Amino acid sequence: MPVRSTFAALALLSFAIDARADNPAKPLDQSPQGRAPEVSDVNPTGSFEFGSYGRVGIASDLEGRVATPLNFVSHGPRFDEDSYAELELRREDKFKQGIESRVVATLALTAPFFHFSGDVNQMFLVRNLYAQAKYKGFVAWIGSRMYRGDDIYLLDWWPLDNQNTIGGGVSYDFDKTDTRIAVHTGMQRLDDPYQYQVTQVPSPFGIGATGVESLDRPRMVQTLKLTQLFRNGRVFKKPNAGMKLTLYGEVQEIGAGVFQDPTSQQEVPLPSDWGFLVGGQVGFWTGERDTHLNMFVRYAHGLAAYDMLAVPTTFANDHTTGDSQEFLFALGGNWENAYFGILGGAYYRYFSDGSEAATSLQRYSEGTVDVRPQVYLGNYFGIALDASYQARRYAFPDPNSTTGAPLFASMWRFALMPHFSPFGKGSYKRPQFRVIYALSVPDAGFKALYPVEDFRAQRDVEHYLGLNVEWWFNSSSYP
Amino acid sequence: MRSQILLFALTVASCADIGGTGQKAQLATHVDDWRDEVIYQVIVDRFADGDINNDYTVSPGFLGKYQGGDWKGIEDHLGYLQDLGVTTLWISPIVKNVDSDADIDAYHGYWQEDLHKLDAHFGDAASLRSLVNDAHARGMKVVLDIVCNHMGQLFFYDINKNGKPDEDIAGNGTSSTVTHINEYDPDWDPTGVQSFSSAGPAGRAPIIFINDPSVNRTPPPDLMGTPGAYHGFGRILNYNDPAQVTLGDFPGGLKDVATELPEVRAYMIDAFSNWVEQFDFDGFRIDTVKHVEHEFWQTFTAGVRARIGAEGKHNFIMFGEAFDGNDSLVGSYTVPGELDSMFYFPQHYQVFHDVFSQAHVPNGQASTAQIEALWTARKTNYGSEPQNDGIGVAPQKALVNFLDNHDVPRFLYDAAGDVAALRNALTFLLTEDGIPCIYYGTEQEFDGGNDPSNREVLWTKNFDETGATFQHVALVAKIRKAYVALRRGDTKVVYSTPHVAQETDAGIFAFERTGGDAGSAYALVVLDTNANKSSSTGDVNAMAVSAAPGTVLVDVLDPAQTQYTVAADGTLRMQVPAQSASILVPQDQVVPIQ
Repeated sequence: MPVRSTFAALALLSFAIDARADNPAKPLDQSPQGRAPEVSDVNPTGSFEFGSYGRVGIASDLEGRVATPLNFVSHGPRFDEDSYAELELRREDKFKQGIESRVVATLALTAPFFHFSGDVNQMFLVRNLYAQAKYKGFVAWIGSRMYRGDDIYLLDWWPLDNQNTIGGGVSYDFDKTDTRIAVHTGMQRLDDPYQYQVTQVPSPFGIGATGVESLDRPRMVQTLKLTQLFRNGRVFKKPNAGMKLTLYGEVQEIGAGVFQDPTSQQEVPLPSDWGFLVGGQVGFWTGERDTHLNMFVRYAHGLAAYDMLAVPTTFANDHTTGDSQEFLFALGGNWENAYFGILGGAYYRYFSDGSEAATSLQRYSEGTVDVRPQVYLGNYFGIALDASYQARRYAFPDPNSTTGAPLFASMWRFALMPHFSPFGKGSYKRPQFRVIYALSVPDAGFKALYPVEDFRAQRDVEHYLGLNVEWWFNSSSYP
Repeated sequence: MRSQILLFALTVASCADIGGTGQKAQLATHVDDWRDEVIYQVIVDRFADGDINNDYTVSPGFLGKYQGGDWKGIEDHLGYLQDLGVTTLWISPIVKNVDSDADIDAYHGYWQEDLHKLDAHFGDAASLRSLVNDAHARGMKVVLDIVCNHMGQLFFYDINKNGKPDEDIAGNGTSSTVTHINEYDPDWDPTGVQSFSSAGPAGRAPIIFINDPSVNRTPPPDLMGTPGAYHGFGRILNYNDPAQVTLGDFPGGLKDVATELPEVRAYMIDAFSNWVEQFDFDGFRIDTVKHVEHEFWQTFTAGVRARIGAEGKHNFIMFGEAFDGNDSLVGSYTVPGELDSMFYFPQHYQVFHDVFSQAHVPNGQASTAQIEALWTARKTNYGSEPQNDGIGVAPQKALVNFLDNHDVPRFLYDAAGDVAALRNALTFLLTEDGIPCIYYGTEQEFDGGNDPSNREVLWTKNFDETGATFQHVALVAKIRKAYVALRRGDTKVVYSTPHVAQETDAGIFAFERTGGDAGSAYALVVLDTNANKSSSTGDVNAMAVSAAPGTVLVDVLDPAQTQYTVAADGTLRMQVPAQSASILVPQDQVVPIQ
């Protein structure tokens, strides 16, 4: 049913596009001849583009170890994230008829890098590999793609929609109302026994074994996103100020299959499963110095409570995701003037797996509040203080409690970041060269999350002293 | 529309509640008289799989491996047990075990690794707490299985001091014996396991703890992780040698704890009392008591009773297991100052095995005279006074009776599938003096042989309550509940016979339950254990009973409620069909069965 409804939405959209193309009141071609150009008239002008996002850093914990990312909630402050970089190669073309196209290939590099590990082998991730074409308000794309909306910078997180699939989508902008509708369908089949298994069987010819794909159940996702923009003075007096409302929906499905336990050789039936997600966003911006505020809310049920790149690890007793649920509310924003700026990010999230047990480590509520005030010292220098608190309450007994109390973990984090920003001052000016000193104060619940042999279970205070640089430019993923 | 908005709001609000994990219970006394209870022994891994997310390393169908049962599964089916007539659960050990040893799993729970942590295969503290709380809410009790004698195979004896556990074959079988030398489980040595080199003896073999987290085989983080907490004498070879029995490692490399040490005794008291405090258990079933010196039990029972008693837990039963048919040995652990009760192994052998399960064997069945002799010995072999701060009932009146258990073949295996014998034995079990204990699966007519075949997966039977044996147990349990005489009455054997063949009274056994804590309530149980013929309660002389002449006795087990009248001379002659029983109560005491 969800697949059918999405196809119906796609059909409706294509009908709208056709209707616009056939509308004599708005001829597509304004040429003197008054007729549509022949295809042979195409005369593209284009360019090769290079864009990038990256962050590279190194830090010590001042106790002889490499400083390790400490966030234990799903989304915490990003200042101690591992190094990561994207290299985007893009071909962009424009055609006479108002058609534009682009082919995007984004390769990503993840830490550790050669100069740290001495390992000459470097893994590349393909984050984008797709082609997109635009015809007036209509955009179509097909390929492997990050497909997402607005983020909360401080938490390095896209709270409403963040798809990573191979698929395709179309969108259409209604100029009159400043409305956009976008649909997308995607598929993935992770190399995980939840979705894929190759088992050995006797070869049909001769001796020996041959592998067969005994489990092959791709996961499908269909999304629908409606965005209404209010800008150009339609709501706010300032011409550059605006707001937007976004409604987002998602349906995920996976087919049935049979997993063969390699140890016991028992066959475990995996039934089909599905889930849905609904959410929305309200965004405001002043048009001045990247000041903005975004609020997100979403609810997911069943399979859709799990990100497409995260397979469920706990299940209802019928091996489905059962009553898995996620609810989240998030805020992200930035305010700045010529002397001072403050970035903020916060969220509350409830997640519950489909387990039929009363308690589970996969059932919790969590949240983070993170603010980063900064003062600018001239045009190119500044000092930021990143202060955050993160906490998670599990529906699972605290292993160190004798009262049966649930496990509650939390951590305060403070990071002082003097920085140099050669492209000028501002929260979003990059590149930004930083020296970071951070102090993290976890509670006993945090320590209980780790084996006693782990340093995180042993220390009352964690230090972080490091160097870090972050950049972005000309990237289609970070507009 | 408004209702849909409200529904959405409620959904969101409910999301915010992640659910409780169950707070620690206030200790309370949940038992009035343990003789009122019907115990059901559960191997947790085998009863019900309530949560597939703790099915770590399960191998369905392979009984030497984990199957996936858990505490939640038991809680999910408490109604099934109540329908069966069960009032007390005895659950297999809960503590963290060495997961796997020699490719056999610790699904049974007896390979302890850490006495202060729960075994995650069976759930978490919340699910265990929920099980116990739910049981208590239903009026049921929960008895915990514990082991003080040994830990799992946590270390090896480094006989050749090469720092690794060697397993070698020595000898050639002609000029020398082929011997399997094993540093995990070496033979008993009265001087302690010794080191040897090619040059000769080299003193005590070092104890080397194994550190293999993949199977939880790691040194315990406390006293139990020190070599001094163990005897180190090697494996028991001769069960008739008291020193080996109490100081030797249990076969399978289970390391014998130095229970004579004061710090070890204090540790055990603390470790197991803590579980009671955490979960409000109602008793301990204690494993391998004959492998521990008496002084330990005196210290342990007193320590546990004092600690949990101070917190409001009384009538806490501690019954022990001595896997032995020696009645005086088993009874020796019920002397004043020790255990409240024992798992009545001598009766298992002499009665349920020899008399009931062997009824189908020509000339192989023991007579019911053997039952009377055993019961007579009970008065001298078992404690006659309740333990101080114990359950308030003398051990000899509160023995835990059982047909079979996880360490012996199931009744139906020994009885070659003789279901009539099983049901007759169950009638006996549920009406005799003491506390009946039913091994899980008996109600489903499981018939497995020795371990692990006798540890079947129950949920394959879909918790069916319609089977004849299930219904029989449920009925007799209801009768037991309805008639206090069958629970608390003193016992008097009024008929037994040496006859087992074609004699008039072959296989007859009868006993009265009256007096004592049952007052004037009266019940007479008459059984024919013979598999081949109906027999009579009188060969030459009829059975003399305590009920007054003229008393009309009603067979409450018989759907027809057949009546019998005590003759003027105080006797009762009745015919009992093969492998069946009558439960007779005076007509004026008959009550509806609930």
